[in-house]
Amino acid sequence: MPRPEQKIIKLTIDGREVEAVEGSMLVDAAKAADVEIPYFCYEPKLGQPVGACRMCLVEIEGIPKLQTSCSTPVRDGMVVNTQAARVKDAQNSIVEFLLVNHPLDCPVCDKGGECPLQDITFGWGKGRSRVIEPKRHFVKPLALSPLIAIDRERCILCYRCVRFSQEIAEDWQLIFTERGSHTFVGTHDGHPYVAPFSGNIIELCPVGALTSQPYRFRARPWDIEGAGGICTLCPSQCNVEFTVRDDKVLRVLSRENPAVDDGWLCDKGRFAYQSIHVDERITTPLLRDESGELRPVPWDDALRAAGAIAEHRGRAAALVGGQATNEEAFLLGRIVREGLESRDIDSRLSPAVRPGDATVELDLARALAAPALQATVADLEFAHTVLVVGTEPLDDSPILDLRIRKGVRRHGVQLLIATERPSALDPNAAFSVRYAPRRGAAFLADLDGALAGGAASPEAAQLANLLRGGGEEVVILWGEALGAEALPALLSVADRLGLAGRAGAGLLEVPSGANGRGIREAGALPNAGPGYSEVTAGRSAAEIATAAAAGDVTALYLFQVDPVRELPGRGTWERALARAELVVAHAAVLTEGIAAHATVVFPAESHAEKEGTIVHPDGRVQRLRSAIKRPNHVRAGWQVLTDIARAVGVDLHVLTAGMAFRRLVEAVPFYEGLTLEAIGGRGVRWPETDAASALPAARTSPPTPPAPAAPLAAPSNGRLHAGVYRSIWASPEVDVSPSLQFTVAEQLVELSPQDAAALGIEHGAPVQVAQNGTRLSGRAAIRTGVPAGTLFLAAGIARDSANALTDDVVEVAKG
Amino acid sequence: MTQPLLFDRIDEPGLNTLPVYERRGGYGALRKALAMPPEAIIEEIKQSAIRGRGGAGFQMGMKASFLPKGEMAKYLVCNADESEPGTFKDRELMQKSPHTLIEGMIITTYATGIHHAFIYIRGEYQLQADILDAAVAEAEAAGYLGENILGSGHSLRLVVHRGAGAYICGEETGLLDSLEGKRGNPRLKPPFPAIEGLYHGPTLVNNVETLGTVPTIINMGGAEYAKIGAPGSTGTKLISVSGDVQRPGNYEIELGTSSREIIYGLCGGPKPGRTVKMWFPGGSSSPVLLEQDLDLAYDFDTLAKAGSMLGSGAIIVVDDSHSAFEVMQKVVKFYAHESCGKCVPCREGTNWTHKFLARIASGEATPMDLDILASVQTQIIGNCLCVLGDAMAMPVGSIVAKFRDELEAEIEAARERANAMPAVETEHLVAIGAH
Repeated sequence: MPRPEQKIIKLTIDGREVEAVEGSMLVDAAKAADVEIPYFCYEPKLGQPVGACRMCLVEIEGIPKLQTSCSTPVRDGMVVNTQAARVKDAQNSIVEFLLVNHPLDCPVCDKGGECPLQDITFGWGKGRSRVIEPKRHFVKPLALSPLIAIDRERCILCYRCVRFSQEIAEDWQLIFTERGSHTFVGTHDGHPYVAPFSGNIIELCPVGALTSQPYRFRARPWDIEGAGGICTLCPSQCNVEFTVRDDKVLRVLSRENPAVDDGWLCDKGRFAYQSIHVDERITTPLLRDESGELRPVPWDDALRAAGAIAEHRGRAAALVGGQATNEEAFLLGRIVREGLESRDIDSRLSPAVRPGDATVELDLARALAAPALQATVADLEFAHTVLVVGTEPLDDSPILDLRIRKGVRRHGVQLLIATERPSALDPNAAFSVRYAPRRGAAFLADLDGALAGGAASPEAAQLANLLRGGGEEVVILWGEALGAEALPALLSVADRLGLAGRAGAGLLEVPSGANGRGIREAGALPNAGPGYSEVTAGRSAAEIATAAAAGDVTALYLFQVDPVRELPGRGTWERALARAELVVAHAAVLTEGIAAHATVVFPAESHAEKEGTIVHPDGRVQRLRSAIKRPNHVRAGWQVLTDIARAVGVDLHVLTAGMAFRRLVEAVPFYEGLTLEAIGGRGVRWPETDAASALPAARTSPPTPPAPAAPLAAPSNGRLHAGVYRSIWASPEVDVSPSLQFTVAEQLVELSPQDAAALGIEHGAPVQVAQNGTRLSGRAAIRTGVPAGTLFLAAGIARDSANALTDDVVEVAKG
Repeated sequence: MTQPLLFDRIDEPGLNTLPVYERRGGYGALRKALAMPPEAIIEEIKQSAIRGRGGAGFQMGMKASFLPKGEMAKYLVCNADESEPGTFKDRELMQKSPHTLIEGMIITTYATGIHHAFIYIRGEYQLQADILDAAVAEAEAAGYLGENILGSGHSLRLVVHRGAGAYICGEETGLLDSLEGKRGNPRLKPPFPAIEGLYHGPTLVNNVETLGTVPTIINMGGAEYAKIGAPGSTGTKLISVSGDVQRPGNYEIELGTSSREIIYGLCGGPKPGRTVKMWFPGGSSSPVLLEQDLDLAYDFDTLAKAGSMLGSGAIIVVDDSHSAFEVMQKVVKFYAHESCGKCVPCREGTNWTHKFLARIASGEATPMDLDILASVQTQIIGNCLCVLGDAMAMPVGSIVAKFRDELEAEIEAARERANAMPAVETEHLVAIGAH
């Protein structure tokens, strides 16, 4: 549904004429006019108002009873009085009623000092109590989950958490039990509230009923400062506010920027901050000594050892992990190309793209980045149709999952899903289609053929029909995991649907790295320099692995990426790292590949420490700022890189983070005119700037899509087609965050009910997955919707990762 | 007194079955209605000026005309939750003449272009639900329900749904949430159900008696029906009389009959030697009236003018053998128990009042506390999401105002009782461990 048009009307509030958007709620109109009306239950992010707390009652001329301003849309000529005696009486009454059962244990309450109930009692209450009756009692507090404590005595039953669970996350886990003043918030049968977005209810709670277990009693509001930042743990790049005390991040809250995240955070983004201050964090440079141990060394020693990479001119290669900033990627690109005279640098690090798969041609990359084709996150909400293809938002970019749900629920978006693995969004979709693992390219070619009116599979034909009849504004959310081979068909589909240049329509990529888009734009690609400029093509990540394993590449620079942990072809990577003479790594924790093979490890900054810019998948350039001092001996990434550059004979002309940004802007034509000030706290979408036309156009029309491949033959005898997925929890930051230990991703083998029955495997039972002598242990997760004959394996995890597999077919057996 | 309309020979054996109902002319009104254009039926109902029999007293014809015209998913929901204390009239009608309700519902759906209807019946009415189920099956078999009813082209599916036992599910939007399978909580209005109700579709919600009167209106004609009763309160009304009267039960009266005629004439008044101390004219949620109010005409406007309401037509008579405090405690206990907990003033106000009365009973209150008790009631009234809070606060407020002296005496008596109790011997304080 397209965005509604906004009409401005005039109304009178407390004798003053003010303007407001017609249909907006009175409480918001009043706030915009500097009239504060108190409320507890109202939260527009949660959808329709419920009018439960009755705190926002006001007098409206012509209506005898007081009205809840949270649920009253403004009308032209409306006359409102928020200061009438009976309004004040009502406000006093509600505060008094709320405190009938509230325990008033403010001195020992974690919310004290930042509590709306305290503030409203102070501002709108009578200041004295007439209640001497005994209060309601509950056992307090209970662990609602390992992350959230619930104190039901403090709860004022405002409905916010329950509405979040039921209407935003749609997990339906939180419910009200009992009634009247005995009502309490709980879960069905007292199960813990475990869900990917559960932490949002802490922030929604207007009292101290829901508190964060990791944050409880770590600070008082007057001890802390808020520092704006961005979460770089996934491509959602949610805007956050770090709660900082004594240069330590103690909490992560959402920071208002609806265009990016709509005000929500996932639990990884909210709780994995703990990884910043754990013993596992590397905070000094490490160097491998003669005995093969990584030992802390002074910076000079580490830099000298890493600087030896200069001796590997022409035989060095670099990988850039998704948490790198644009500047870091840009500086590293210059080191590789100018200092090391190498062409081998890559940042396309999808767990699903295997050695031997095609690489993305420069022309394709340019065509996909074309400003006219870029959809925004908000477009997902207001489009007529959203097609999700080759990605599972819940795992790959969690916050988009909520955005898509919102679009379907509130704006009637027609949701179409084409993936190999069942999606959490399937129940919300008008149509879901499954293709065989790693056959995204074939499916898109099929779909493209169907849109062209040719012969196609029934699924592709139906999807094409729904796309054609699905309105003008179509957004295609696609995953990097589709692989390069699928992209010509993707572009062709977009072309057939006429998405280019259409407002509210376009493509939106889910890259595999948090800053995947920015890193590519900064030139960390084998076949493109900064700004997708043309360069002599070098090796892709998979080719680098093969070359290093063969001894053709002798030095590797791993910038915040552990290929053994994150990339497919684990065996090849292990051989490559073992054979390389020098492995320089930037890392925050020692993951297995770094621990086993790195020669030098520089301590990497966390996202609360970095300064620099990143680019959201929709082209929004966002700014990272230091929220805390870098702990111990950690140095800024750009600073380390300039030192390395000097060692390899390149002067980058960078003395500050700001200078690094300026060098980047000079090198990327379509960033022209961007300043850190303009980017500010909300970011700037470069595709909307005048400089956007400086993106080089694709020289040739994209290659024609390949003909659809023949369907896979059904394997037999316990052999199944394997797809891979990277769980939302598969990240080293989660591995070391104490309170997230219960989520740490393990090998969950997703099986269809049919195959599980045939193999005699029960849900949760141990299973063995084998292929070419590689054996993985895991637990079975029987999932309706997994097509028979296929299974899905977790990648990017510490143990038993699917990264070890090299082939499409695996054997499964009871473990 | 005119002839009873709804309760006409209501005790005839077998009236709950289709053959007897039809023999007595049942479904004649439906045949007549199906020959009329739908708008004409709405017009007849409007002319009858019948006001809703469930409690709010809103004109049925007006409500029906709010429903959007045209083909769409619209619903008719019959509110058979009948949960207001003292009300049991719908039970008798559904039990003894279920087809009256079903016929009324079919006519109403034809008039409003509705093809799905529900009877939401309170969970405790198992017998009546079974009777309705049987009657619906009979009506379906006879072609009164289902596709193309009597060749008119009108189709209707009627479902009897049993509630699970909550007063709040008699509130129309709480009922709709419950019917949808959710926790029965009232919704914010607007949107009113006529615009957005069951499953977000326009929904007409009417009481059993209201819908049951529709065949009568069609048979008589709206104008003729409007001649019965009092101005602004047309027709006859089923009333349930309970409490301290000698002949409690359901009666059908012409609206405008004197209240004394009902309580003393029909019901025989209190036992000999007792007098009417107070009476609830419209269920336990109506402000109480006194002996001196007995000559008020029993109709919507007169009772409203007297500061109370006709409500569901449930008269509860309390004689002078009961204390006002005891009556108040009963009322408060019920509403505190039934408050759904969604909005603050009702949830906390009913709960506080309940605890307040417990404090009075235990002798820990002073007469001054009655001011707080009264002010808590005014803090509730008008500030709630639905009318449940008011349903407690209005009668309680009226009892405090009208029986202040008696309540003060009760408080003093309770204090004396408490003081007369032997004091608890207190031991020396014992340390419970180092801390």
